[in-house]
Amino acid sequence: MFDVALSSAGAHIALATSSDEKHPPENMIDGKADTFWSTTGMFPQEVVIRFQTMMKITNVHICSYNSKFIIIPVYIDETDSQLQQEEIQLGEKRAYSLRLIIESGYDHFVSLHKVVVSGQAVHQ
Amino acid sequence: MPSILRCKCIIVGDATVGKSSIAQVFHSDSSHFPKNYTMTQGVEVLVKPVNIPETTDSVEMYIYDSAGKEIFSDLVRRFWDHPSVVIVVYDCTSETSFSSVKKWLERIRLQCPNMQIPGALVANKIDLDQRRVISPKAGKELAQSNKLEYFECSAKEMQNVDTPFFYLANEFHKLYQERVELFNSLT
Repeated sequence: MFDVALSSAGAHIALATSSDEKHPPENMIDGKADTFWSTTGMFPQEVVIRFQTMMKITNVHICSYNSKFIIIPVYIDETDSQLQQEEIQLGEKRAYSLRLIIESGYDHFVSLHKVVVSGQAVHQ
Repeated sequence: MPSILRCKCIIVGDATVGKSSIAQVFHSDSSHFPKNYTMTQGVEVLVKPVNIPETTDSVEMYIYDSAGKEIFSDLVRRFWDHPSVVIVVYDCTSETSFSSVKKWLERIRLQCPNMQIPGALVANKIDLDQRRVISPKAGKELAQSNKLEYFECSAKEMQNVDTPFFYLANEFHKLYQERVELFNSLT
C-alpha cells in the first residue's frame, strides 16, 4: 500500500473552498504534518484530492484540528491543543479522487495538516 | 494573492429598530436608505467585501439580516448555525427594544456555546434626538457587561453605519491570525 494522495505521487488538489496563500490546500498532501491548509471562515468546507489515476483505496487518515465532521460525517471528539487523528476504513473502493467535507467545527477556523490515502493503482 | 476570509454576520434585534436599514445602507455604500417599511420575513442575506487596513487581506461579510418579529423566531434560528460575528441593534427611542437586547444575545449564545463570537451593540435612530430615551451611557454599560463593542448610528442620516461592520471584520481577521498561530504551534 502506498500513500496515493501525495503530491509527489502525482495527486493534486482539484478544488478547495478556502485558500490563504500562506496556508494553501496543497499543504495537506505534501507529506509533512507541520504545514497545513487553513479554512478561512464559514461552513461547510470542502476539498477534492485528485489522484494520478484510478486508485483502489483501503483507508484514509486525516490529521486535523477543530474539525467536527469529515467525509460521510464522522463525529470527532474535541481535543485540547492536540491534533486529531482520524482513520477511516473504506474497504476497497475504486476512485479517481477523494472528496472531503468538513461539515462543522469547534471554532470559526479549522486546519488540516495531513491527508494520507492508502491504496494502489488499478491496472485497467 | 491576498487571502479572503468569510464572515457570517448575524443582525438581530426587535422589529422596526432598523436592522434592514442598517444592512442596506452599509451594503449600498450609503447610497440607499429604504424609505418605506417592509417587514423582513425570515432572513435576508447580503454580501459585501471589506478590506482590512495595512494588509492585502479582505473579509467577505455575509450579512444575515434576521426578522425581528417574534412569529419568525423559530424560522430565523435555523439560519443561525455557526455565526462568526453578531450585531445586536436597538432603537434609542424605544425602551422595549433596549431591554430585548439580552434576549437576543441569549438566543445567539445558545446557538454556539463555548465559541468566541465578536459582537457589536448598535443604537440606531440617533437623529431622533428629541425622542431619545436610552442614553449613550446606558448603552455603553450594557455593551460592556456583555462583552460587546458599543456604537451609535443613524441609518436615515447615513451616519456611522459602516463602523460596526468594519470593527467586526477587523476583529474576525484578528481571530484568524490568532488561530493560524495556534495551528502553527500544534506541529
